[in-house]
Amino acid sequence: MDEQAQKTVRNHLEPSACSRRQQSLRAVVPALLMVLLGSISGCKGKYGDLDLTMYQYRDTRNLVRFVYDASLILSREGRSSLARFQNDRARFSTPQYYLYIYDVTGTNLFHAGMEELEGRNLWDVTDKDGKPVFRQVVDALDDANNPHAWVHYSWWEPGRFYPVPKSSCHFRVSTPEGEELIVGGGLNYPHEEQEFIRIVVDRAVELIERSGQEAPAKISDPVSQYNYRDVRVFAFRPDGEMLISSAINSTFSQTNLLQCTDEVGHKPFAVALERLESSDTVWEVFMAKSPYQRRLIRKSLYIRKTVLSGETIYVAAITDLPEPPY
Amino acid sequence: MARGSGERGYGVNEVPPAAHLLVSSFQHVLLMVTALVIPILFASQLSGLPEFTASLIAFSMLAAGLGSIVQSVGLPFIGSGYLCPNVCGPSYFSVSLSAAWVGGMPLVRGMVIVAGLVEMAIAPIIQRLRRVFPTFIVGLVVAMVGVSILAPAITSFFGLAFREDAIRSADMLVGLFSLMVMVLANLWGKRLAKMYCLLIGILAGWILAAILAPEYWHDLVAVGEMPIVALPAMGPMFGGIAFDLKMVVPFVVIAISGSLKSFGNLLAAQGISEPDLDETDFTPIRKGLLADGFSTALAGLLGGMAVDTSSSNVGLAGATKVLSRWISVGAGAIFVILAFFPRLIAILSMMPKPVMGASLIFAGSFMVCTGLKQMFSEPWNPRKTFVVGISLFFGLSTAFLPTLYARAPRFVQTLFTDPLPTTTIVAVVLNQILNLDIVLRRLRRR
Repeated sequence: MDEQAQKTVRNHLEPSACSRRQQSLRAVVPALLMVLLGSISGCKGKYGDLDLTMYQYRDTRNLVRFVYDASLILSREGRSSLARFQNDRARFSTPQYYLYIYDVTGTNLFHAGMEELEGRNLWDVTDKDGKPVFRQVVDALDDANNPHAWVHYSWWEPGRFYPVPKSSCHFRVSTPEGEELIVGGGLNYPHEEQEFIRIVVDRAVELIERSGQEAPAKISDPVSQYNYRDVRVFAFRPDGEMLISSAINSTFSQTNLLQCTDEVGHKPFAVALERLESSDTVWEVFMAKSPYQRRLIRKSLYIRKTVLSGETIYVAAITDLPEPPY
Repeated sequence: MARGSGERGYGVNEVPPAAHLLVSSFQHVLLMVTALVIPILFASQLSGLPEFTASLIAFSMLAAGLGSIVQSVGLPFIGSGYLCPNVCGPSYFSVSLSAAWVGGMPLVRGMVIVAGLVEMAIAPIIQRLRRVFPTFIVGLVVAMVGVSILAPAITSFFGLAFREDAIRSADMLVGLFSLMVMVLANLWGKRLAKMYCLLIGILAGWILAAILAPEYWHDLVAVGEMPIVALPAMGPMFGGIAFDLKMVVPFVVIAISGSLKSFGNLLAAQGISEPDLDETDFTPIRKGLLADGFSTALAGLLGGMAVDTSSSNVGLAGATKVLSRWISVGAGAIFVILAFFPRLIAILSMMPKPVMGASLIFAGSFMVCTGLKQMFSEPWNPRKTFVVGISLFFGLSTAFLPTLYARAPRFVQTLFTDPLPTTTIVAVVLNQILNLDIVLRRLRRR
C-alpha cells in the first residue's frame, strides 16, 4: 500500500481531532439538554410536594427543606436512624439552623446543638416568658392553617446567658415501627415572615368563631401563640374602637384606629377597611419608626374580617416587611 | 472632536448598519430593563392589582423611551446628542411612595412634574459652572457615578432579594460565569463578540441560571398567562394630577440630587464620545439636563415613575466603544414599542438577578475607571489631594454609615444623602475654599 492510501485508511479508522470534538459535543449537548428539559418539565424532585411559595426569605425555605429531609429519613428508617443523627451532629447543627426530634409525650430523642436535653421530658417546659413551648408545638401540628407547624418562642444557647428569639417548624412522622415522632428545626436568626402573622391571625379568627366571647381573653394572653416577639394579634370594631389592644392598654387610652396615621400621613386602617368591603382579608403596607435605628421601616398589616356575637369585627397583626438588599 | 469611524465600534454621530443598530439597541434595552424593578416594587407597595402594575410599567417605559429619544436624537435646543438613555430612577422611589400614600397616583404625578420642572430650571445654571468643575472634579464625579451603582450591582450579583437573606452557591456561579463571559468577550473577542459582549454574557448567564436554578425557568413559563399585546390603561388609580406644598421640599431635594447624577452621566458620556475635547463643553451638558428634566416631567404627565439618565448604559457604551447616539434612539424606540407588549416586558424583567448584577458590575467598572483616568489626566498637587480625599471621606460615609446623618441638622441631612451628590458638593465647595489664596493673589495683582 502506498503512503497516500495508508493515510486514507488511517483517516477512516482513526477519528480526527475534529471528529473527536464532534463526538464529545454529541455527548455533552444531549446531557445539557436533558438537564434543561428536566427543569423545564417541572421535574418535581424530592421537594415536589413541599409548597414553600409563602415564604419570602431563603433561610426560612432552607429550614423547612432541612427539617423535611430529616423527616424523610425518620419515616424511612424509624428509631434506628437516631444513631445516624447523633453520630453526625455537625451536619444537623449549622450556624443557620439545628434539628431536634421528640416523641409525642415530649421526651427529647435527639437535639443537634444541646445534647444534654436528650432523654429528658420537656412537656411542661416554658420559655422565659412562660410560653409552654412543647405544647404549642403539638397545637401547631394539629392546626391545618399552619402547614409547617411554626412556633415562636425564646430559648438560650449552651454557654450563653441571654435569651435568643427562635422560630421553629415541625413535621409529624410515622416510623416503620408504627410510632409517631415529631421532628423540628429552629432558625438561629429568624426572619419576620408575613406568613407567620397570617397563621396567627387566621388561628385567632378560628378561635373567635369557635369560642365566641371567651376568645378575646385567650388571644390577648401574652404567653399564647397569638403573641410573639413584637407581634400582637389585636381586634377592632368597624368604627375603629379597639376590642383587643395592639399597642397599649385600651383602658388607659382610647385609640380609634381609623384615625391613626403612619409616619408619612397614611391611614392604613381606614384604607384597609375600604378594601375589606369587597374582601375578607387584606394586606396593607405602612411606614413606622424602626425600634432600633433612627429611620423609618416598612411594616405590613394583615386584617381578617369575622363575626363575634353577631357583630362584624376585624382581627389583625403587624409585622416587619423584608427590607430591600441595599 | 467626535470619535470617528476609523476606530473600532461606532462614533457618536455615526449611523450603524440596520442589523447592528437593532442588536446594539436591544443590548442597551436589556440593561435598561434592569431598572423596571422600580415600578414593579412601587406597584407592589400600593396595590397588588396586575392591571395597575402593568399600566405603571408601561407608562414608565413610554416616558423612559421617549426621554431617551429626546436626549439623543439631536434636537436644536434640547438633548445632549450622546448615547445616554433614560431609565426609572431609584432616587425618586421613597418620595414617590410617600406621595402615593398621602395623595395616591394623582399626587405622585403632580410632584414628579414639579421635580421635572425643577431639573429643567437647574439646567441653564450648569452652563455657568465651568470654573466650578475643573477636569479633576469632573473625573471624580464620573467615578462616583460608577460607585453609585455598587450596591444594586453587588446585591443583584449575589441574587439577593432582601437584606440579610442567604446567598446561594448557584447564584454566585451564575453571576461569576455571566461576568466572566462579558469581560472575556470584551477583551478577547473579535469585532462582533466585543460589540455584543453584554448581550452574549446575559444570554449565557440566563441559560446557566435556568439549568442550575429551575425557578428562573419556571418564572419564564409562568409569563405565558400574560397578554401578548395590551394598551396601557389610565385606570381609576391614575386619574387626575394633584399637588401638595408639604411634598415640594423632598421632591426638590431629590430633583437636585438627580440632576447632579445626570450631570455626572452626561460628563461621562461626553468623555467617552468626544475624548479629544480639551475642556468640558457645557452646551450639550446643559441641553442634556434639560432633556432629563423634560423626561421626568413627561413621566409625571403620562402616569409613570420619574426617570433619570442611566449610568450603566453609558458604561456599556464606553466598554464596547459603540457610541452612536442612534443606538440610544433605537433603544428608546424599542422601549416605547415594548410598552405595548406586556408579555415581552415580563420575560425581559425575569432576567436572573445575578445576571443583572454582572451587567451592572461590567458597566459600572468602566465608569469608575473612566472617571479615575480623567481625574489623574492633569498634573496633580496637594490641593487636589485634599479636595478629592476629603470629599471622598464624606461622600462615601453616606454609604458606609447610612444612619449617621439621621441626627444631623436638617440642612446636613439634605446634603448628605448619597455618595454621588455628597462627594460632588463637598468637592466643589472645598475646591473654592482651598483656592481662595490664588483668587486673592489675582485680585491684588489687578
